[in-house]
Amino acid sequence: MRSLLIALLAALAIAPGAVAKDPEHIYKTVEAKHFTRVEGVELSPAFSDYLYAELRNELGKTKMFVQVIGEGEAVEDADAASSVVIEGVITEYKKGNRAADAIIGFGAGARSLKIDVNLTRRSDHQSLGAVKSHVKISPRWNEQTMAIAAAHQIAHEVKNGLKEKAKG
Amino acid sequence: MNFRKILPVCGWLAALSALGGANAVADEPKPTPENTIHVQLAAPVPPQKFAKPVKFFISEVIDRSGNPQPMLVLRDRGGIFLDRQPTEITREAIEQSLKAADLLAADAASADVVLQIYVFHFGLAQGSGFDFFGKVEFSVMVKNLKTEESQQIEAKGTSIANAAMRKKNIQKNVQANIEGALEDAMRNLLRGTQLKEAVASLLKNNSSAPAAAPSGEMASRQVNEDIGKRHKSKVEER
Repeated sequence: MRSLLIALLAALAIAPGAVAKDPEHIYKTVEAKHFTRVEGVELSPAFSDYLYAELRNELGKTKMFVQVIGEGEAVEDADAASSVVIEGVITEYKKGNRAADAIIGFGAGARSLKIDVNLTRRSDHQSLGAVKSHVKISPRWNEQTMAIAAAHQIAHEVKNGLKEKAKG
Repeated sequence: MNFRKILPVCGWLAALSALGGANAVADEPKPTPENTIHVQLAAPVPPQKFAKPVKFFISEVIDRSGNPQPMLVLRDRGGIFLDRQPTEITREAIEQSLKAADLLAADAASADVVLQIYVFHFGLAQGSGFDFFGKVEFSVMVKNLKTEESQQIEAKGTSIANAAMRKKNIQKNVQANIEGALEDAMRNLLRGTQLKEAVASLLKNNSSAPAAAPSGEMASRQVNEDIGKRHKSKVEER
């Protein structure tokens, strides 16, 4: 009876963790490319590099991919079918208004960034989904902080999208 | 008379400006063994497989960053310095990786392609303020000495590490960050499709080299012979 109780308690302690655990490493590699910009987007050249680095960082944290490779890195032919390429376009950037942010608040005068992201399979360039990211932050924060928020949001959406796709 | 009155004021102003200058000089960080880090690859980066066996040779590594203090990576908190020039670290990292894969030639004459590296950025770049953003960026001129043809490719490595409060931890994080960026740049170069395509293109021309390769006197002789043949054939046609 006592051993049964211990076994039951152990099962109760372990079960939630086992159920909540994400399916790890569904894809072999993911390649994040530098995001392009449409005309009129006035962000510093360093922003693209930072967003690229931060996105790779965040994609690593999703545990969906065995390896996060750099842009233009070669992939073994055998791994190409289970490899993903992430490309994106920064479609809109609004600097925001510090005065409106300070006087009105509640999101008025916020700095905003819109990014369209496409996921494709490396082997046949088949689309695996699209993500639309819209980030709003206070104009007091710098561009890099906005990149962190955008990368986090994109990685989260990519993870959810690919998980749904894997479930079928 | 008036000049004598303002003389002490001028003296005070001169003394204050001298004091400010002395403070600025004192704030300028200086390299010491305590604030100097040693950056190197933790392990050689395995290069990709090429269609044909290739031997590389690194001719020159040139600093194009325009940074007057390339060894100073962080100015705050007494500064953090590299123990060697970025060009030296980059050369060592590439040579180490190529040597481990037996792709490094002993000299330029025995190499299939010669690499000339231009370092554009090595160290920390502007981050969010909550982290350290390491960036290593360089371009490589891949040259086939036999055909005199060359192609330029680019490699970039980035790394983000957490910020720290203690000087010791800042130094540790900065070192790990730059090493991460260096490794990423090496992967980008040695495992990149750009290098593969450049080498394939340059060596493809090399395989048909006997006709295409001659340079200098040989080339001009070949051209003259060709012109002669063409001239003869036209005469024969007539």
